[in-house]
Amino acid sequence: MRAVSLTQISSLTLLLCLLQACSSQPAHVSPSPVVDKGRQAQAPVTQSPYHSDSPGILVPSTTQPSRQPVPNTVADVSQPPAVLALLDQAEQQANTGELESAAASLERAIRIDPRNAVLWYHLATVRLSQGESTQAEQLAVKSNSLAAGNAAQQARNWRLIAQARREQNNPGGATAAENRAHELDPR
Amino acid sequence: MAKRRKRGRKRTRRKVARRRAVWGRLLIILAILMAGYITWLDYQVRHQFTGKRWSLPARVYARPLELYTGLELSADQFLSELRALHYRPVVTASSPGLFSRNKNTFQLFSRPFDFWDGPESARNLRVTFSGKRIVKMSDGTNGRPVSLARLDPVLVGSFYPAHNEDRVLLQLDNVPVSLTDALISIEDRGFYSHHGVAPLAIVRALLANIRAGSVVQGGSTLTQQLVKNFFLSSERSLVRKINEAIMALLVEWHYDKDEILEAYLNEIYLGQDGNRAIHGFGLASYFYFERPLTELSVDQYALLVGLVKGPSYYNPRRHPDRALSRRNLVLGVMADLELIAPEDLSRLKARKLGVSHFKRKAINTFPAFLDLVRRQLQRDYRDEDITSEGLRIFTTLDPQVQWRLEQVLETRLKSLESVRKIKAGTLEAAAVVASVQGGEVLALAGGRNAKFSGFNRALDARRQVGSLLKPAVYLTALEQPGRYTLTTLLDDRPLSFTARNGDVWEPRNYDRKNHGDVPLYQALAHSYNVSTARLGLALGIEQIIKTLRKLGVEQHLNPYPSLVLGAVEMSPLQVTNMYQTFASGGFRSRLRAINAVLAVDNSPLQRYPLSVQAAIDPAPNYLISTAMRFAVREGTGRGLYQYLPDHQDVAGKTGTTDNLRDSWFAGFTDDRLGVVWIGRDDNQPTGLTGSSGALRVWGDLFAGFNNPDQLPVAVENIEYHWIEPKTGLLADAGCPDAVQLPFIVGSAPKEIAVCVQKKGVLTAPVDWFKELFE
Repeated sequence: MRAVSLTQISSLTLLLCLLQACSSQPAHVSPSPVVDKGRQAQAPVTQSPYHSDSPGILVPSTTQPSRQPVPNTVADVSQPPAVLALLDQAEQQANTGELESAAASLERAIRIDPRNAVLWYHLATVRLSQGESTQAEQLAVKSNSLAAGNAAQQARNWRLIAQARREQNNPGGATAAENRAHELDPR
Repeated sequence: MAKRRKRGRKRTRRKVARRRAVWGRLLIILAILMAGYITWLDYQVRHQFTGKRWSLPARVYARPLELYTGLELSADQFLSELRALHYRPVVTASSPGLFSRNKNTFQLFSRPFDFWDGPESARNLRVTFSGKRIVKMSDGTNGRPVSLARLDPVLVGSFYPAHNEDRVLLQLDNVPVSLTDALISIEDRGFYSHHGVAPLAIVRALLANIRAGSVVQGGSTLTQQLVKNFFLSSERSLVRKINEAIMALLVEWHYDKDEILEAYLNEIYLGQDGNRAIHGFGLASYFYFERPLTELSVDQYALLVGLVKGPSYYNPRRHPDRALSRRNLVLGVMADLELIAPEDLSRLKARKLGVSHFKRKAINTFPAFLDLVRRQLQRDYRDEDITSEGLRIFTTLDPQVQWRLEQVLETRLKSLESVRKIKAGTLEAAAVVASVQGGEVLALAGGRNAKFSGFNRALDARRQVGSLLKPAVYLTALEQPGRYTLTTLLDDRPLSFTARNGDVWEPRNYDRKNHGDVPLYQALAHSYNVSTARLGLALGIEQIIKTLRKLGVEQHLNPYPSLVLGAVEMSPLQVTNMYQTFASGGFRSRLRAINAVLAVDNSPLQRYPLSVQAAIDPAPNYLISTAMRFAVREGTGRGLYQYLPDHQDVAGKTGTTDNLRDSWFAGFTDDRLGVVWIGRDDNQPTGLTGSSGALRVWGDLFAGFNNPDQLPVAVENIEYHWIEPKTGLLADAGCPDAVQLPFIVGSAPKEIAVCVQKKGVLTAPVDWFKELFE
């Protein structure tokens, strides 16, 4: 009888010792953190491919040489100061590689001025820099729909669409888009 | 005998030896057991402490208010926003969370806040309102203009774990020193010197209790109290006391004083709100004072510290006298220890408790909206993560719109019932408001009583949509400019259609009349069933289903002819999704209620970005929207302009189902889209059409918004012509009843109406872009 109870006790101590061994590995007991499920492509900004050679992110194209006077300029002084402040902020964020923050700033600007084709265009450029060429193209199409009569802005959008299509391995579509851009703003 | 004795002695010696061996063994076993037990306790302590992630409910925030010159917001709306944020009115706002108002100018000190795209620092702002908008905003210190500022967002709810534990997590660095000073001086003066237990303190407490004849002092250290809260039941027994002491020693062995103090500040129980336990000073500050801990004063810290001893006995709302004397006792001790200047003591003691009025809040202020948020979260997170990981959820909810919606539903449904002699309380309603370009859900009502968190009709009531479906039929036609324009004459004469299975379908108009030939835009505006049915049959049901898919309708659709008259059941949210495509110029966006989700340490977990999908070509989308503008100008929705100024641009559509069971209105302005449904839960007739019911709620709602007067977005490939409606032929401004209508370039009628031929001149078509851009 006694022997039996002794083995029981020693097995209990063994169990306790095992538990102690466990306790030295807190990784087993701490709850698993919430993880970002399945949206890796969008989430960590720093991991997104940043194309340093992509065309002047958030730099108004009017600063680039243009042979013809542009009727409706991008950096229109009539932009509300709040929108300009957010554009500035988005530009800084994009320049330091914080692309998702730049997108968030542009979305804030769009909330303030939703019909501003320029803002949608800039959002498209950020998405293109993040490698999201499909959404970039859609956003540029959206910008076009708000830029009726503004050939210069439409041409910029078509150039962006051309690049997005190249990244989607659609050279035919890219050429067609480039032709549209050229018709609108030959340079 | 001697032998016996010898033997007996031997036996005794052996007995003693055996006894010694038994005792020895027992001692060893006991030591092993003790060691095992302590090891076990040690494991418990380390497991709980190191791995401790408090179950932190998810916090749900409304959209932050962005302030800028030109923002359409009245001074009173601004005030309501500040109230919801618990900013306090003062004479001069000198620290975060305070504001002053002088007529239409506010001076406020905003709170710092960590957003998903970076921190927003506290700012001193001067904001001037005039005529329901911000006309000036400047820095309150140096007077420089400020172009943009973002307030902290209103907390609109939390997702709690099953046991309803709640907490606002504090980090020691952010805890005011006055609070920890007060706490240590009252609860455990030797905190920084003892090793977990303070025997002298226990003796002192014992003596004090004996002298007083009751328990007046506790000898427990903060560490012991923490252990008690953390690991043990509240049972009072010696075994528990011993466990507590051992574990306190172990905690002190493993962790430093700051870690212990921080855990204590977050763990200690400080009150009860229904079935929600108030743990930690962070939450207690909101619970008793409705503002963050950093904004409290010393006397308020003293009150919270006083509560530790007995949150229920010293409950400042139920027993203000007890709470007051307890607070003053704490203040007295603090003064004795020179933590408070003696000259301040009497002033602080004279202060009122300052506790906010107790409102047993429905845990979530906007249950129906929170319901939508939770469902969108469930696509990406497990339930236990939503309720326990302390997620910070930034939503698209606009409190201004939501408040307005709730108020309008309550008053308008009551008045509809009384005016129309409908039994009170039988009507139900649901509504959704979304932003036009971003597809963000701004407000949502799941029933007429917005505080009731039951059946969410906006998401779960599937009701026949009736005429709300017609724009999809007409859009299908207008996408073929060679065949159909807004002026194409449709046949509204009686129709009898025999399906392949032999069923005969004879749709009838609501007014039971036959309207002969009707221009397409008027057939939609007046919601004629017969001409719509004929048009739908000519186009083909499959084509109409294709259009519905492009518009974002995802549910199963039966390809029956009755589909064209809206024999399909949808929820108000699904209808909103469909109309959002019209409203945004033909771009489909999945409606979003969430912008971003952050982890408890503010690291971004997920963004729900603005995304669009070109679905409908802008030109035909422009035509169908124009027809919907006619619906509210001169069609079934014309009652709307009783509520809105005449220059307000609105496109919309009424919906009424058989026997007046469902009353719908869906409509949009330049920046907002709203869908309203009224009906009964038992699906009995309401006696209301779309225009006599839902349209009125919509009108009340949108009348309260600061709708900008904007022209519709200009669309390319569209030209305007004067048209004689009854013939659909080209006219000019001089013709009687002539209207100006948009056409896709090249699709306008060529034939000229008689009224023009009489005069022999025809004005050239209006080139819209020249007018708009030159």
